[in-house]
Amino acid sequence: MATELDYDRSLYGIEHEAGPFEVTESQIQAFSRGIAETNPIYTDAAAAKFQGFQDIVAPPTFCTIMVHRVSLPDIGLKFGGKPMTGGMHAGQRVQARAPITAGDHLTASSHLKDVYPKTGRTGTMVFIVWETTFRNQDGTVVADVQESFIRRG
Amino acid sequence: MYLDMHSHSVSSDDSRATVEQYLKWIQVLRKRGHVVDGIVLTEHRKFDYDKDYSALANQYDVVVLKGSELDTRYGHVLVYGVTEPLTKDIDFGNVAMDTRELLKAARQHGAYAVPAHPGRFGIGLTEYIQQGETFDDVRIVERLNGGSRKGENERAWELCDDKGYLGVGGSDAHLTSHIGTCLTRFEATISNESELVEALLSEQFQPVWLEDATTNSTSE
Repeated sequence: MATELDYDRSLYGIEHEAGPFEVTESQIQAFSRGIAETNPIYTDAAAAKFQGFQDIVAPPTFCTIMVHRVSLPDIGLKFGGKPMTGGMHAGQRVQARAPITAGDHLTASSHLKDVYPKTGRTGTMVFIVWETTFRNQDGTVVADVQESFIRRG
Repeated sequence: MYLDMHSHSVSSDDSRATVEQYLKWIQVLRKRGHVVDGIVLTEHRKFDYDKDYSALANQYDVVVLKGSELDTRYGHVLVYGVTEPLTKDIDFGNVAMDTRELLKAARQHGAYAVPAHPGRFGIGLTEYIQQGETFDDVRIVERLNGGSRKGENERAWELCDDKGYLGVGGSDAHLTSHIGTCLTRFEATISNESELVEALLSEQFQPVWLEDATTNSTSE
């Protein structure tokens, strides 16, 4: 029985750059509404400036949507000799590192972090984990986002 | 003493509970009159050599031991008393490994392997035995699993009765408040992984629900 996990391992160590992505006030306000955020620094530019920020501030999890603008390569996953193409999103972890404000231009740098199989009640699945670092126009790291995707045979 | 033989901390990819959160919750269980003396962290598909929980264990007066839960071709297997030679002999990330080879390798390297949640539909040892597979080296299985769905622990119970297997109990906790829901009552006092393996080999233990692990039950 062919059981070996096969994928393009040459992707390890390669950074995939994307952006810059402009952060706008309307994006931040829409995101804040979406998560029911009420802190004025996340909803009102004047309040944020009064608190000493350059402009309205993005909530700490803001990059969970920015990461969707990053195109990631197909890793050519096979398990047991068969391609695993179907799948679903399996979760995100965000580490906010510096404030993001309207007017920032973010660049993203993504790399393949891990690929591993596991078994559950419904059979074998493979997790693909990507890690993306966002930097602002000054080169300051503002967030790290780890995303997982599940593939099934 | 009462040990939760199956738990997952944030070190596993699918748990959000820290070890300290588990130990704090055990203090709550103790205040409610339950006896939980220790836990075994059985992280998925790996063994955490680099993790040292001794300070937390002392702070909360809970025995914290380390093991692994491996995916195999015939279901998940808990491994206690993991040694470095075992991790060199067996690829802990190989989900297609033969369970029988793992059982043998564990004993060769001073560890002990116990099929987890054998009654689990689709993935438990029971399924494979029904398909005609045989597992001559199995002596102990996880008879009580806190993550089991309706009917799965009952199937494990029937398997034990049918095959004469001994059983242990573990919560399979991935969330803080699930720790200790199933336990194993040992006659021996256990303070490290080697003593745990010895206690398993002694066959002096039984699986219990948390409800049956009370200060009253220990004095009987």
